[in-house]
Amino acid sequence: MNRTTLMFAAALAVGAPAGGPIVVAQSFTPKPPTAADWAALARLPDFNGVWEIGLGGGGGRAGAPPPAAGGAATGAGRAGAGAGAGRGRGGGAAAGPALTPDYAAKRKALQDAAREDNETANCLPQGMPGIMGQPYPMEFLLTPGQVTIVIEAYQQVRHIYTDGRPLPADPDPKFHGSSVGRWEGDTLVVETIGFSPLTQLAPNTPHSGKMRIAERFRLADPDTMTIETTITDPEALTAPFVSSRTLRRHRDWTLAEYICEENNRNSVDQNGKAGINLAVPGGSPKK
Amino acid sequence: MTHKLKATVRSALATVGLVAGFAAAASAHHSFAPFDMGTQKVIAGTVKAVEWTNPHIWVWLDVPNEQGGVDAWGFEGMSPNFLGRRGWTRTSIKPGDKIAVTYRPLRDGKKGGMFVSTKAPDGRLLSMQGGQNPEP
Repeated sequence: MNRTTLMFAAALAVGAPAGGPIVVAQSFTPKPPTAADWAALARLPDFNGVWEIGLGGGGGRAGAPPPAAGGAATGAGRAGAGAGAGRGRGGGAAAGPALTPDYAAKRKALQDAAREDNETANCLPQGMPGIMGQPYPMEFLLTPGQVTIVIEAYQQVRHIYTDGRPLPADPDPKFHGSSVGRWEGDTLVVETIGFSPLTQLAPNTPHSGKMRIAERFRLADPDTMTIETTITDPEALTAPFVSSRTLRRHRDWTLAEYICEENNRNSVDQNGKAGINLAVPGGSPKK
Repeated sequence: MTHKLKATVRSALATVGLVAGFAAAASAHHSFAPFDMGTQKVIAGTVKAVEWTNPHIWVWLDVPNEQGGVDAWGFEGMSPNFLGRRGWTRTSIKPGDKIAVTYRPLRDGKKGGMFVSTKAPDGRLLSMQGGQNPEP
């Protein structure tokens, strides 16, 4: 434990209420990057840039066939009429998640509720794992000790620490969880824990507080990335739920702004009823 | 139905094979519950406004009604981000343009729907699958 950490621990101890829990400072202390750390990035696989799951598009490719439907690997509940429409973009799982009886019942209850839409209609982002399957690009940024994924959909960001720190012991639940990564040869291996209960393991499928997501990112060729995602959850799953997707790099793209609240005319109410706001811009015309 | 309208309908039908991809992209934000996805209609009018905004563009059309006035119809499209990478710009359709919009109607019968395609004033097909494509 170096000096900074000790001071941090001391500050916490002083601030703790009498008789309260003893706070143990995390033993990991990030180091400032050196010139060698920056230079070492050049030896890593070239992940930098803008990637999108296989949708077609980009100028003349508008006529490309749609991606084959896969499993329900695109995450956060796509309820109601949209349920069958958006699965397995750019890949997917061969089969859906193998659920424990408890969680199969939870899923059935959600399916039976037949909500017409989910909270994304109100601009709430999917969180993990669904946010990684959106039909919008993502930008990967490699800096010393960190891989950052900027996700255009809902203007989200994931921080993956590759500086050797451990996963937090008791993280607050978050939409994207807490992630650490390491390089195994040319593969970036990411472990993520600590997900908000507002995210879903798969459509209509909740997860427990013990869900873990392991992702393996690698380049299949210079402009093709594959991501293999393995979800484990001892309370929800009887077997790991594995899916994969393929991303294409678009060297000539930049990420665009995505402020969902800018002009969101869609909505879903607490009963799951979908709505549309048809207020005419500038007011209604004279009848 | 005018020749122009028939051509628009034909173009729309030619894109049916792409609907699955379109559906995948469109469903990122919301479901299709409000729309009758099995029906396509065509309506002609004058563009009143184009909202080139996230999470969806909206094209507003002034459509003549039987009382001699006009009704405003609203059509939801994809996002400017999605369309901007596929040949559209915020001026692909402009206020004042006279266009016929192919759309999937709202189930509740209100004046609007999901934008499928239109033919731009210069004759190119503007579809939600992307692209300002030549007439197929």
